[in-house]
Amino acid sequence: MTTTALNVNKTVHSGEKAARRRKLSGILYYLFMIAISCIYFYPIIWLVLSSFRENRDIFSSPFGLPEQIRFRNWSEAWNIGNMSTYAKNSVIVTSATVVCILLFASLAAFAFSKLRFRGSGLLMTLFLLGLFMPLQSFFIAQSYIFERLSLKDTYLGLIVPYIGTGLPLAVFLLKAYLDSVPKELMEAARMDGCGDFLMYRKIIVPLLIPSMATVGIFSALNAWNELLLAMLYIQQDALKTIPVGLLAFSSRYMTDYKLLFSALALITLPMIVVYISFHRFIVTGLTEGALK
Amino acid sequence: MSGHSNKLSPYLFVSPAILLFAFTVLVPIIMTFAFSFFDWNGIGAMHFIGLDNYARAFQDRIYLRSYGHTLIYIAATVFVEVLVGLGLAGLITMGRKGSGFFRLAIFTPMMLPMIVVSYLWKFVYNSDFGLINSFLTKIGLESWTRVWLGNPDTALYAICIVSGWVYAGFYMTIFYSGIQRISKEIYESAYLDGATEWQIFFKIKVPMIRNLVETGIMLCVLTGFQSFDLFYVMTNGGPYNSTEIVTTYLVKVVFTHMSIGYGSALAVIMTLVIAIIGLVAGKLTKKDSDVLEY
Repeated sequence: MTTTALNVNKTVHSGEKAARRRKLSGILYYLFMIAISCIYFYPIIWLVLSSFRENRDIFSSPFGLPEQIRFRNWSEAWNIGNMSTYAKNSVIVTSATVVCILLFASLAAFAFSKLRFRGSGLLMTLFLLGLFMPLQSFFIAQSYIFERLSLKDTYLGLIVPYIGTGLPLAVFLLKAYLDSVPKELMEAARMDGCGDFLMYRKIIVPLLIPSMATVGIFSALNAWNELLLAMLYIQQDALKTIPVGLLAFSSRYMTDYKLLFSALALITLPMIVVYISFHRFIVTGLTEGALK
Repeated sequence: MSGHSNKLSPYLFVSPAILLFAFTVLVPIIMTFAFSFFDWNGIGAMHFIGLDNYARAFQDRIYLRSYGHTLIYIAATVFVEVLVGLGLAGLITMGRKGSGFFRLAIFTPMMLPMIVVSYLWKFVYNSDFGLINSFLTKIGLESWTRVWLGNPDTALYAICIVSGWVYAGFYMTIFYSGIQRISKEIYESAYLDGATEWQIFFKIKVPMIRNLVETGIMLCVLTGFQSFDLFYVMTNGGPYNSTEIVTTYLVKVVFTHMSIGYGSALAVIMTLVIAIIGLVAGKLTKKDSDVLEY
């Protein structure tokens, strides 16, 4: 009797202690995570806030808040910076690239994963090496070829190399997914007299749609961000994409910080909005691709 | 169309992809190899000079140093991307409220165009109004302020930090989903046995996603050679070549010095180095076939 009472007393006591410790670790946890989040998020907020300020205010008090939210800086940057043209070009190039990558990669992934043919191992190995080849391995000769074929200063001059360099990752991810699909499914379709083309259309494409979302996100991000080839192949201002346009803009207005901040904010905000509204989809897409 | 697989159709399926890949990547790689034996500025006549470009490359101090910088960058990114990502994934999966928000915040930089990241951090590092120097001044550490990107001692590391800012969220997300797949019963019994969060992290979470972590490191090493934008926009190799990496130097040789032949030789050497690393990495990862890089 006495021993039980003692024990109960002890557990209550240690329970209190544990609760206190848990509370303390909780406070530490939140302090740390908030600090981390600030490191990740504050620069972006700073970018947007600074874009509403005057150059001398940015200079004298970097952490200060804008006096008022005026979009004049933004419209100025939009007009001077030719942003609508760059944005349009980026949309055209990126969407054409993504559509072609998805089509060609799904066709190839189907053949690599489910059809037997001579040379498939070798071709797949070449693709795999392509995964890790930086543009710098081949841009010299590619630029020469594109010059010869008058592909420079055209949309195709960017779309074609973006497809070519995007295909390895796309084929790799889609093939990995198809490899996990049981063979029986294909065999059953075969028994029903299903040819290769019909099988691709009726079975493979519907199966691949979730993975295609992942591949589409990767491909779109890469094409949207690409700088080197866009810089090399496009001289005409009317055809420049956002990264090159921004590069040209910033070298012209190097010290007009409010304009630069505004241009950056203008490009960033749509991406952030897209990300926050679709982030569940984007994040699962990315991780599905990685964990397959 | 018969129910049998057509002999020709596999080739029809792969040909668009193969042809485009060959046209934009394979053929240019082979041509770059051919160019590397010539002295050529891209416009005038080509002079065959054999292996002279290669001999020159192995005496080019800046080129050799650029490999050192690339290696430092890769080592640093394993730290600031993979290991930080792993730590954050551990914290996020502790089951406390608000983890969704933190996950969102940490992943956000991934969604910014690299060019925006580069300019934004150029501002953050700016010695006059940048966030870092202003913050240091504010908390009384004025003596710590630097011209971060203009100082050969700090510029490379400053760029590595930016890389961590962008990609740690990516690795965190990957590891997070790996940890989410661990069965809840393992945690529960560990908690009942009185395990602390530290023990759960080091004894359960990390070992259970070991494959994923190894793959992350491999990915970091292989993609490290591909970095370009961040370096090009933030420092373009400077100051005094202290942030010159393999890719920025190559582009500089071709653009500024107009040496197509020499640039091609540099590209061939880089391609071989990456191919070797890729093959070795491929051999090493083959054993865990359930986890694929990317």
